[in-house]
Amino acid sequence: MDINVRKRSEVQVVQLRGALRMGPAVDNLRQVLDESLGSGDTRFVLNLAEVPMIDSTGIGLLVRFLASTKQKCGNIKLVQPSKFAVQTLRLVGVLNLFEVFDNDDAAVASYA
Amino acid sequence: MLPEPNSSPENELSELLSVGIPARPDAIGDVADSINAILVRLQVPEQKQLEIALAVQEALVNAVVHGCESDPSKEVRCRLQSDPNGRIVITVTDPGPGFKPERLADPKAGENLYADHGRGVYLIRQLMDEVSFEGRGSEIKMWKY
Repeated sequence: MDINVRKRSEVQVVQLRGALRMGPAVDNLRQVLDESLGSGDTRFVLNLAEVPMIDSTGIGLLVRFLASTKQKCGNIKLVQPSKFAVQTLRLVGVLNLFEVFDNDDAAVASYA
Repeated sequence: MLPEPNSSPENELSELLSVGIPARPDAIGDVADSINAILVRLQVPEQKQLEIALAVQEALVNAVVHGCESDPSKEVRCRLQSDPNGRIVITVTDPGPGFKPERLADPKAGENLYADHGRGVYLIRQLMDEVSFEGRGSEIKMWKY
């Protein structure tokens, strides 16, 4: 999985490409998010437009970080999850835990 | 003995893939990708491809992490078959002691929603049309019609 991180208006915008599943993909994203959180970042936007699948390990990571950021008055917001990713998140009952946007601009602006 | 409903006798199933992997998390993706490539070749509709691929991924994760405790000296086996009606069956087996699926917590209940684990079997049951556990839970068989 490719992970690209850039900061916009105090929001970490994380662009992912590839399946978010157990193995290097989840490990690398966990590391990126851990480091950001450890550096004091609490506001995240996760662009999932190029993520065809999220497995339960990936979902667990997202949910855990959502809880961690919210404890610090932050959040993780999702952008353009695929139809199948939405289906998966809905199936396990966590879709409604996240705010979902059509593009990065809208997600970043929602933090204002 | 009458055949089980919606199941094909073993001799009517075509073997599409049979593979063993060391029980390492980073070995799972290649098997899932191989199965996906076969489904593409069989022209399985995309939605079904995704559902099967994710169910296989979840079954392999459970086998590696829980069945084998991520011990790379242990092996997980994965078998992909199809029947004459185009139904797909995947079997994942591990050498572990098994488990009781009925004892798994509901991942959608209360605090479990925020858990970082515990959704795999639930997802498999939602994605596949028929799921059975053999060998006290060390083998899972999943059907997609």
